[in-house]
Amino acid sequence: MSAEPELHHRDRCAIVGIGETDYSRRSGRSDLTLATQAALAAIDDAGLTPADIDGIVRCDMDAVRPNDLAHTLGLRDLTYWSEVGPGGVAPCAMVGQAVGAILSGQARAVLVFRELNGRSGRRYGLAPGAADERRVGGSGTYDELFAPYGMLTPGQIFAVMARRHMIEFGTTSEQLAHIALACRARANANPRAQMHDRPLSMDDYLAARTIADPLRLFDFCLETDGACAVVVTSVERARDLRRPPALIRAVAQGSIPDPQPGIQFPVLMRESITELPAKSVAATLYRRAGLGPADVDVAQVYDCFTITVLLQLEDWGFCKKGEGGPFVAAGEIDLGGRIPINTGGGHLSEGYIHGMNHVVEGVRQIRGTSTSQVPGAEVCLVTSTPLPPGSGLLLRAA
Amino acid sequence: MERLLPVDDDLDTGGFFAAARRGELVVRRCAGCDALLHLPRAYCHTCGSWEGRWSPVVGTGTLHSWTVVEHQVHPAYPVPYTVVLVELHDVAARFVGHLPGRHDLRPGQPMQVWFEELDDGAVLPQWAPA
Repeated sequence: MSAEPELHHRDRCAIVGIGETDYSRRSGRSDLTLATQAALAAIDDAGLTPADIDGIVRCDMDAVRPNDLAHTLGLRDLTYWSEVGPGGVAPCAMVGQAVGAILSGQARAVLVFRELNGRSGRRYGLAPGAADERRVGGSGTYDELFAPYGMLTPGQIFAVMARRHMIEFGTTSEQLAHIALACRARANANPRAQMHDRPLSMDDYLAARTIADPLRLFDFCLETDGACAVVVTSVERARDLRRPPALIRAVAQGSIPDPQPGIQFPVLMRESITELPAKSVAATLYRRAGLGPADVDVAQVYDCFTITVLLQLEDWGFCKKGEGGPFVAAGEIDLGGRIPINTGGGHLSEGYIHGMNHVVEGVRQIRGTSTSQVPGAEVCLVTSTPLPPGSGLLLRAA
Repeated sequence: MERLLPVDDDLDTGGFFAAARRGELVVRRCAGCDALLHLPRAYCHTCGSWEGRWSPVVGTGTLHSWTVVEHQVHPAYPVPYTVVLVELHDVAARFVGHLPGRHDLRPGQPMQVWFEELDDGAVLPQWAPA
């Protein structure tokens, strides 16, 4: 064990099971049923039974609580539970919570899950608050300084950030399109993806309606009903299980100085709106892993919008600041490029499980079982770094 | 349907809307060390003071970025409309504003504050091309 405390967790835990439901626009199932189905699939994939699970980690925006799931799965002795948020910054940090629980002896096998009826239930693409609510904000939300002006959705925030990136660096819509097209091409190879049967061309992208200029329809991710889960345990225990372990090389959470309060709109007050906290998450994660962007073979990059990916490619060090546009247009995020991304199709084309399907796909790459497998992939980056503070994860083959 | 109204009596941000009702644009500053506290909050982590004040600013700025919303997500906000992000001239602070419709905008162009009275007594500082 290293003398540096932040290195204590390096390669000491692994993801040993992955599970997911189908991804659809209308699951017809309750939140609890979705979570249970993904959990059972992940536990079975690991070669474990529910009786082996003693920890649960959830996302703060999930409708299902640890005791709901523990009861439904029939867990006999839940000794650890935890939650991370807000929202999309959670998944990699949720895996980190599992690592912390295992290495501190608070749990032996931890289930990490995310479920949502994101299309048939509560839709994140709609304005916040109840439809009949006229007075908005207050109580630390700061929404009162944004919503009355018609600044109502995450897509509108990222549209303003995209416009600023275009102003500062000359980024174009055609360049953003390459991110949508790359994710769609991976989804076309993935039978589980919502957009499996729907090819997308540059002409399709450019002809699609504008949602919030400069962002068009295909700059936006899907809204999805579905669930994902993974099982984390110690590397010693992982050796005896059914699947080859995806070693958790390192995990990190990170913020920036003066990140601004709230969940989303106040980020427009940050000193730079063409940078995300991804940059500081990257610095911490790479240091803990003893690896850098040049060591990463494939990446699952949080993609609520195309521009979110562009900013992260720069922040995570795959290209220089401001060069994300030419980088993606040159095919560097495609199979055979410098850093293939979102090999299941991502949020843009596989489904939106709020960052958790990126963790599942990251494990597939390490196992060599992705439908768009990167040959010889040994190191996979997973990012959960949209607007607020973020988290990241490096997975490695044993 | 009528536009959304701000909660304008929040303990941390209410002073901003109170000033707007007087026709003033203000930012929050620390009374101890004069640090800018934007978005408004009570505590200054620079000097540790809990004493703040509302400081008038000139009400001119430049256009930092914007979006033209073409897909409607709320019945009270018919599309198209434009949300502008304005950087103040005299202070390193930004505000958003609402312009109905589409506009021929360019980055860095001068913007001017005005005050929009909503029903129920609420007043919103708004921004338009100067």
